[in-house]
Amino acid sequence: MLVELKVNGFPYRREVAPDTTLLTYLREVLELTGTKWGCLTGDCGACTVLVDGEPVVSCLQLACQVSGHEVTTVEGLDTAGELNDLQAHFVSNGASQCGFCTPGMLMSAEALLRNNPDPSEAEVREALSGNLCRCTGYNKIVDAVLETAKARAMAVSAVPDLSGSSSSVGS
Amino acid sequence: MANIDVFVPSTLEEAVAFLAHHGDRAIPIAGGTDVMIDTRIGRISPEWLVDLRALSGLSGIEYDANGFRIGALTRIRSIELDQGLRQRSTALVEAARVLGSVQVRTMATIGGNLCHATPSAEMPPALLVHHGIAEIAGPDGIRSIPLGQLFVGPGHTSLEPGEILVRVTCKAANPSSASSAGSCYLRQTVRWAMDLAGVGVAASIEVDEAKVVSGAKLALSAVAPVPLEVDVVSDMLVGKELTPQLTKEVGRVAAEACSPISDVRGTAEYRRQVVAALVPRALYIAWLRATQNWPVGKLAPINGVLSEEE
Repeated sequence: MLVELKVNGFPYRREVAPDTTLLTYLREVLELTGTKWGCLTGDCGACTVLVDGEPVVSCLQLACQVSGHEVTTVEGLDTAGELNDLQAHFVSNGASQCGFCTPGMLMSAEALLRNNPDPSEAEVREALSGNLCRCTGYNKIVDAVLETAKARAMAVSAVPDLSGSSSSVGS
Repeated sequence: MANIDVFVPSTLEEAVAFLAHHGDRAIPIAGGTDVMIDTRIGRISPEWLVDLRALSGLSGIEYDANGFRIGALTRIRSIELDQGLRQRSTALVEAARVLGSVQVRTMATIGGNLCHATPSAEMPPALLVHHGIAEIAGPDGIRSIPLGQLFVGPGHTSLEPGEILVRVTCKAANPSSASSAGSCYLRQTVRWAMDLAGVGVAASIEVDEAKVVSGAKLALSAVAPVPLEVDVVSDMLVGKELTPQLTKEVGRVAAEACSPISDVRGTAEYRRQVVAALVPRALYIAWLRATQNWPVGKLAPINGVLSEEE
């Protein structure tokens, strides 16, 4: 079955078995291994990617069902090797230990911040409630997301003309 | 999974014909959050998955003066975030927000949640207290049944081969009229996210001008093989003013009416006690909403325990 996806802005066309998951398509067909292979039951969130800007668990998503859509993976966050602000705040807050959950955490957090630029701590915890971390105890991850929101708000308020800017994604 | 093929019908008729022809060798898939797990662990082993996602006209929420209609392909996340539903059926929004995680709600559909027929599913009780009617497409056309008749047992529905749930129609007060109805869904779980209900309770209350109850419905999840409607609530409450003693009595009757099992989420006896505790809270919050003593659109605490200011 031909599956066409735009992944991190680049178009791909690949012939795959019909029951290929988006996770397998990304990791084994496109060799984008940032997205992690975790529980395969949608519980742990390590495989979270964005489809049209909304977070999904790619282990339960048939690739053919999202053919023609836009996918963003953790490889799509940085610019020419330079970490984006959310990633940088994960680093400065020590929000990553073993790192296995980090790509999924980043994608859930990125989806939250694009939809809700000024989340409360409760909203951050709710947005990350589908992502398990067994190392950090979550607090540093939550801090990193809240700091990113604050930094983005300051950057936006420094720009005089906001017309045309958009914080929504996938709406 | 062992080489499952995917069929993508372009019309509802095509999907019905394909499913009717292949029987249980073909399974419909929408969001995939249940079907993908079931195929992976071998609970089902279809030769075909029939991808319903591209079918037009089966997704979305519509309102009219009497209530609302939800297409089977509507995402749980869309229900959770719908402002119109928040006013008309707070119970449904409160049930949607506790299902799975953000990722699961973004993928999962209301039709899938209903047709998977898990006894602990969140959507059924919330729809049952809004008089849900299931619209089903099949080889002989469209038929409608009270939603409660869809559920036969754990994982089993009354759908015949080739039949597809297409829509659920519900009754709800129009918020622009002098609203006199309210609903609420509460849940007991060990964890707030990514957990199934230990007990789920949905209630709806209608009142007249004198705040006397003119209609009441109660439905429970995770305490019987199917979502359980407690019909006696109507006889117990209609024509009366709601009092704490009365809601406690309904809770006691509901606890007796259910037939829970003991499992990892609690013993049968514990579940009955949780029913007795949650039912009065759900009835009270639905009543607060019906009598406009609750902030419009504000969701209740998940377990219904109100703080002083609430």
